[in-house]
Amino acid sequence: MFTTGSKLLLGSTVAALIGTLLYGILVGGIMGTVGLVSATAALGTFAAINIFTRDANVSVDDIDAFAGAAAGAERPGSSMWPLAIGLAAATITLGLVTYTAIFMLGVILLIAGIAEWMLQAWAERASSDANHNREVRGRLAYTAEMPAAAAIGLGIIIYAFSRVMLGVPSKASTIVAFSVVAAVVLAVGAFVGSNRRISAPTLTGLFAVAGVVLVSGGAVAGLNGEREIEEHHTTAYYAQEGKCGTGEISADEHASQTVAGKASQAATVVLSDSGLTYTFPGLDQVRSGSIQLPRSSAVNILFRNETNEHRRLVADMAPEVEGSPAKICSQLVEEGGVQLLTLNYPVPSFDPSVEANGGYALSVPGVDGARLEVVVP
Amino acid sequence: MSHSHEDHERTMSTDVRTTRRLSSVRSSLTTAGLAVTAMIGLSACASNAPQDTWQPAGENAQKIHDLQWPVFTVAGIVGVIVLVFIGVIVFRFRDKGQAIPEQTHGKAWLEYLFIAIPAVILAAIAIPTVGVVLALAETDDTECIINVTGQQWWWEYDYEVEPDGSICGFAPSAGEASPIITSGQVVIPAGTNVLLRGTSRDVIHSYWIPRLNGKRDMVPGRVHYLRLQSDTPGIYAGQCTEFCGLSHANMRMETVVLAPADFQRWLDNELEPYQSPAEGTLAKEGEATFITQCARCHQVNGLVDDKGTDDTSDDTVVVSYPDQFVFSGAAPNLTNLMGRNTFAGASWDLLTPECREDVWEASPEEFGEKYLAGVTEDCLNDIDLREWLRNAPAKKPMYADAELLEPTDGKTRGMPYLALSEDQIDQLIAYLLERK
Repeated sequence: MFTTGSKLLLGSTVAALIGTLLYGILVGGIMGTVGLVSATAALGTFAAINIFTRDANVSVDDIDAFAGAAAGAERPGSSMWPLAIGLAAATITLGLVTYTAIFMLGVILLIAGIAEWMLQAWAERASSDANHNREVRGRLAYTAEMPAAAAIGLGIIIYAFSRVMLGVPSKASTIVAFSVVAAVVLAVGAFVGSNRRISAPTLTGLFAVAGVVLVSGGAVAGLNGEREIEEHHTTAYYAQEGKCGTGEISADEHASQTVAGKASQAATVVLSDSGLTYTFPGLDQVRSGSIQLPRSSAVNILFRNETNEHRRLVADMAPEVEGSPAKICSQLVEEGGVQLLTLNYPVPSFDPSVEANGGYALSVPGVDGARLEVVVP
Repeated sequence: MSHSHEDHERTMSTDVRTTRRLSSVRSSLTTAGLAVTAMIGLSACASNAPQDTWQPAGENAQKIHDLQWPVFTVAGIVGVIVLVFIGVIVFRFRDKGQAIPEQTHGKAWLEYLFIAIPAVILAAIAIPTVGVVLALAETDDTECIINVTGQQWWWEYDYEVEPDGSICGFAPSAGEASPIITSGQVVIPAGTNVLLRGTSRDVIHSYWIPRLNGKRDMVPGRVHYLRLQSDTPGIYAGQCTEFCGLSHANMRMETVVLAPADFQRWLDNELEPYQSPAEGTLAKEGEATFITQCARCHQVNGLVDDKGTDDTSDDTVVVSYPDQFVFSGAAPNLTNLMGRNTFAGASWDLLTPECREDVWEASPEEFGEKYLAGVTEDCLNDIDLREWLRNAPAKKPMYADAELLEPTDGKTRGMPYLALSEDQIDQLIAYLLERK
């Protein structure tokens, strides 16, 4: 109904009127008030003329042309995509000076904004029927928008949920994750499934509230930070700390359960009452004294404890060689249990630095004489 | 009318030319096809084929051979029957403009027959195949253990010292045994059941000496077993059969079978203490060059750096640290380089072609003597060895370009270019000639 020019002039007239009233009431002064009244009257007059002439595009007498004038056509639909593109440009700029991730987010937003804006412009020209145009746009856009929106939504839910889980104590998080949440999902599902008369808006509202609660909870938990997570050290750490002794360490739990069924071993070292012996797979011969292992090659030694005590196997390595630990030890193995020890000797056993440290060896703390010299050629 | 006759003649002439040309092309294609077929067929008849699975020289290879004969025979007969059947059908029922015969669906007895015949054939093949597979896996009667480790692109062998102080059941004639490390060629005693315990330091390789046994993959972190056995002294060639990078085709290996007495001599030679070259010789200069240029990766057992002084208190044992320079963490041990006939992953011979042929073609009775002579100055393949020392990556494709080693933290895969001078190469060759 109103042409573009008319809107501008009418808006200016209203603004001038408000300004006149405010000035007249709050400031006073005859000259100023008269001037503003004059301006308001002038703008109102121009607006009226402009409405009458349809932005001066057509003659007022030409009725047919008047109705079909360009200025009289319906304006294009509003679009949020220019705003998104502007936001993307700002994000890209911010990303350039801060983090790559922000930059990439900006680029994605920019590409998405441009694509959506182009799609909207294309759809609006499809026909003169706005509803048909929206349908046309939807057919094309939804194939991408729906999965993207689902992925983003899912990501937000998972991230928020994970923040909550990491924020609460581990036992509580287990209870929440596997009991409370599971029960709520089951209950809601059962309710919705049994109550067929529940309306779509009700369901939407229900899920929206749940979503808001979850995101809020995630935000609060995220700001509070993660709970303190206990660090579990491996035997390598304890070997470095010199704690590969007869005592139990936290890495010793479930020792025999950590050996893979398909573990490939270079030798099986057995601790029995007669001491430390070994066998090579594929060769039925029990050996003792010294064992030959390759250089610069990771080999697995299977340690079997056949004594009544819990025992561990310790390997003396090459502390003087860069990258080589001083010792490596297995977990504490129960009677009849097995454990793997992976060894990699970087230098031969005749290296002076190795000889100076007593050479390579495998031994069992707490058992005198349980020792195998390791020969690395 | 005459004009039409000329057109007809011209058309006839064109048709004749086209027919002749087509006939000529057909004839050429037939000749080429027959030539290629004959070439493939005749290549199977090569007598000098060192990697021929049809010439078994060991127990396990014989088992495989005894299996593959009937299997290939049956497969060949079946293949010929099928091809002849197809040919007859294609020819007899070719399109001659005849009416399409009545189409029927299903003939139960024929379908059962076509299922039953292959099933019977496969079952007949499966029974001996499983038996051979189980027989090849037997290791209970092992008499000698040798560790084999693959890396880009060569094989390393180290010999275990048995609890009784012997190696492969052979006690050293003098002194105590110590582990022997060699590469390129693995030496085994004839008539001995040798068990290779194999692994890899970098990527998956595959060990295959066709005349002695089947293939065995060598996987990093795992130990695999392969039996080698032969009663006939000689050299048996093999090749890595798992693609392992740039120089996979140049990753070869040879198994040397020596009569027991010759193996004893070889063992004693390997265990001999290191002898430094005489003072004032080119080889002595080569020793110093070796220490500065090669010893950081290549181990020579017993090599001592006297730092050019007479004070023995300054002597230090030279230990190589290939793990700091080479991605696999290993480089060939060169203690007895000239005792073996190959270098650079058995890609090149250390012997001249004439000397090599003399060793390879030797009778089983003479083989040990000729092999144990090693590489003499007269027999040295000076050309390839010089080229190798001059620029190894130019001779064998390797990842040794310093500018491209970021992914391996600066470590090379293979031997790098060392920028040795010609004088240094002369010195090194003189030094290496004494390593046997």
